[in-house]
This record gives sequence, structure tokens and C-alpha cells, in this order.
Amino acid sequence: MIWREKGLLSDRRRPFTLWGYLIFFVWSIALAIFLQGIGLFFLLGITVAFSAIFCEGRVRPIRRWGFWFLIASTLMLSTLFIGDKEFSLLGLGLSPQGFWVGLGMALRGVVIMLAMTTFSDAVSVVEITHLFEAVGLKGLGFALGVAFNMVPTIQETIDTVYQAIRLRGGFHRQRLATLKTLAMAVVINSVRHGDEIVDAAQARAFNPDRRRKELPYPTWADLALGMALLSGVCILTG
Amino acid sequence: MRFTVRDLVYIAIFGAMWGALEMTLGSYLHLIFPPVVTPLIGVGTIMTSLGMVVALIGRLFVPKRGSVVMIGVITAILKALSIGGVVLSPMLAIIIESLLAELGLLLSRRPSRWGFALAGSLAVLWTFFHKFFGSYVFLGKGIYEVYLGVLRSGVQTLGIGMEYAYIIIALFLLVRLVTGAGAGWFAWEVGRSVQARLAK
Repeated sequence: MIWREKGLLSDRRRPFTLWGYLIFFVWSIALAIFLQGIGLFFLLGITVAFSAIFCEGRVRPIRRWGFWFLIASTLMLSTLFIGDKEFSLLGLGLSPQGFWVGLGMALRGVVIMLAMTTFSDAVSVVEITHLFEAVGLKGLGFALGVAFNMVPTIQETIDTVYQAIRLRGGFHRQRLATLKTLAMAVVINSVRHGDEIVDAAQARAFNPDRRRKELPYPTWADLALGMALLSGVCILTG
Repeated sequence: MRFTVRDLVYIAIFGAMWGALEMTLGSYLHLIFPPVVTPLIGVGTIMTSLGMVVALIGRLFVPKRGSVVMIGVITAILKALSIGGVVLSPMLAIIIESLLAELGLLLSRRPSRWGFALAGSLAVLWTFFHKFFGSYVFLGKGIYEVYLGVLRSGVQTLGIGMEYAYIIIALFLLVRLVTGAGAGWFAWEVGRSVQARLAK
């Protein structure tokens, strides 16, 4: 279910391909790093609008208390520790300069967090895998498929071996040796299971070098988005 | 980097092992030990050490350049699917750590106990710098002024010299170096024993 939510299995309709979302992701992060002052407010507005419109209205991090705690602590600490203290509240010296620096840092944090969430929500794991394969990590898709299927098996193996060792009085003495036994048992079991997968793949004449589904070409929507964002760079930095 | 089917399956297995540890033990430890409670050896240090044990054993089974990076990438993608939403910071940490481990293995040229210890040390050392790197990326260089302000304030409150603060930082680094080296050493021991057992 989580995998479906994360986009591993889904093929939902989106206005842009992987390239559109990648362009937006890189654009937001680059501008968040370089922009200062009022430009950051505009950038935040654009990022919130894009996330809300083109990512099924998900603006998830903003709804988390932990995220707001991070922002509040950044604002508070910078007001306390940056710049000259000009005001005093409850015996604590506060600096307006520190407040503005902190606000800039907080805005930057919100923009980057939103850009990351939008990218990870909009782009499926399969597409990310293709992206990695395109940059030279051949066979990653196959390895990832095997890994997904192996996780429950490995968890079960770890549990079984751990319980078997514990019931035989393990971990009471010679803990390092017991730990080594546990690690060896898990690795040996998993490797043997892996050998069966290799045999099955070879019996089906699987070849990791065979051309697999390639990345999609950028669409007109991606190009239009790219042009719009490029104009945005000129307006925000000009 | 050209891997055979067997290499890819082994990479998948070791990636799944590290991923399973991150998804179960990692999530659990993060829940019961928040970062502020354990500054000297955080959950990140423990999980990276365990991950390095797994990834470096994997290197013995796939003795090719790039195998540790592949294991790291698979773990990072599995981590993205774990419960807890966006985990981009730990994903990035896992990939950087596996790159550093690969660098350590590259520097040692031939697989050896010391090479594994070096790879483990480099990877675990990153857990110290990752927080600062992450803060810089998210909040900009202004956050360093905050850190220095907190450090100065702490030194003033405790009435100690600034040199003690540096000693504490050096201690943090040393603990990570030793832990990482231990993880590499342990990986070599376990990996060689497993290979010997499987060869029988």
C-alpha cells in the first residue's frame, strides 16, 4: 500500500513528465540558495502554488509540527545569537538583524522542503531508477526489483536466526562471537536464496545489458514550464 | 561498471539487508533515541556502522568497483519507501556514505582488512558532518553563525576555554573513526568466514 502511495505501482495522470518535475526541483533549490530578501517570499509563493496545483494538492511538510518546530527554533536561535542585541524580552537580548537572517533561513528551508516533497511525490520510484540507469548504474532496475522482494524474506531470516540463538542462551556471554554467528547465518541464508534467484534468472536467459524501457522525451508542457521558469529566474534576480 | 546477473542479485541482497535494517531497527532507534539525547554516538552512527558491515561484506561477494555505491543506492531507494514520509536527508546520507566507503576501498587498492577499516571509517565519519551539511543546504551559511553563537554561549556558561570545545569536537570525530574502523574490521571477519563456509 505504501509502495502504491509512493508511486511505485501507480501510473497516475500528470501534466508534466519526469523532466518537468526535475526542472522545477533543480530550479527551486538553485534559487533558494542564491536568492535573498523579498525574492524568497515570491519563490515561496511560486513553490506553494506549484505543489498545490501540480502535485495533487499535497503540501505535506507544512502540516507537520516537527517542521514548524524546526522553523521556529531557527528563528528563535538566530534572533538570540546573530547580530547586536537591541531589545530585551524576559531577560533575553534579541537582535532584529538576527530575526531577518533567521526568517531568510526559514523561508529557504520551507522552499527546499516543499520542492523535495513535490518531486518525490510526483515522480515514481521506477522513473528514478531509470534516471539512475541513464547516468550509468546499469541493472539497477533489476537489482531493485529483487531487493523489494527480498526484504520480507531477509526480515524473516533475521527474526528466525535471532530467536534461535536467543533460545539457545546466546547474547548472555561472548556477545561479539554471538553477533558474528548471527551475521554469518543471515548472510549465508540470504546468499543461498540469492543463488536460487540467479539460477531462475539465467534459466529465463535474463540479460541485464538488454535495452530496457528508456526515459520519456520532454513534452511541450515540460518545455513550456522550463521557459516559464527561466523567465522567472530573470525576473527574480533582475 | 558492468555487473553480471549474479553480481546484481548479490547487490540486491545486501542492499535489501541494509534497507531492512534501516526500515526496522533504524526507525525504532530514531523513535526511542531522539538526536538531542545521544550527541556522542547518535542513531545515525550506529545505523551507518551496521550498514557498512553489510555493504562491505557485499563488496567481498561482488569484488568490483561501484558495488558498494549500488548497494547504497538500493538502500536509499528502499529507505524512501519506509514509513515516515520524506526521508531525503537520510537517503542522501546513505549515498554519500557509500561513495566515501567506495573511495576508501579505491585508496586501499586491494581488498584487505585495513582497506575495509578505512572505508568504514570514512563512511561513519560523514555522520558528524552530515548535520552541518544538511543545515547548510536547508538554511544557508547563516546557520553556522548560530552554531558558533551556541558554542560560545556554552563555553561561557560552563566557564571553560574554547580549546575544550575543540577537544570535545575531536572526541566526537575520534569516536566515529574508531566505530567505523571496527565496522570495517568486523565486516572483513564475517565476510571471510562466510566465504570459507560457503566454499566447503
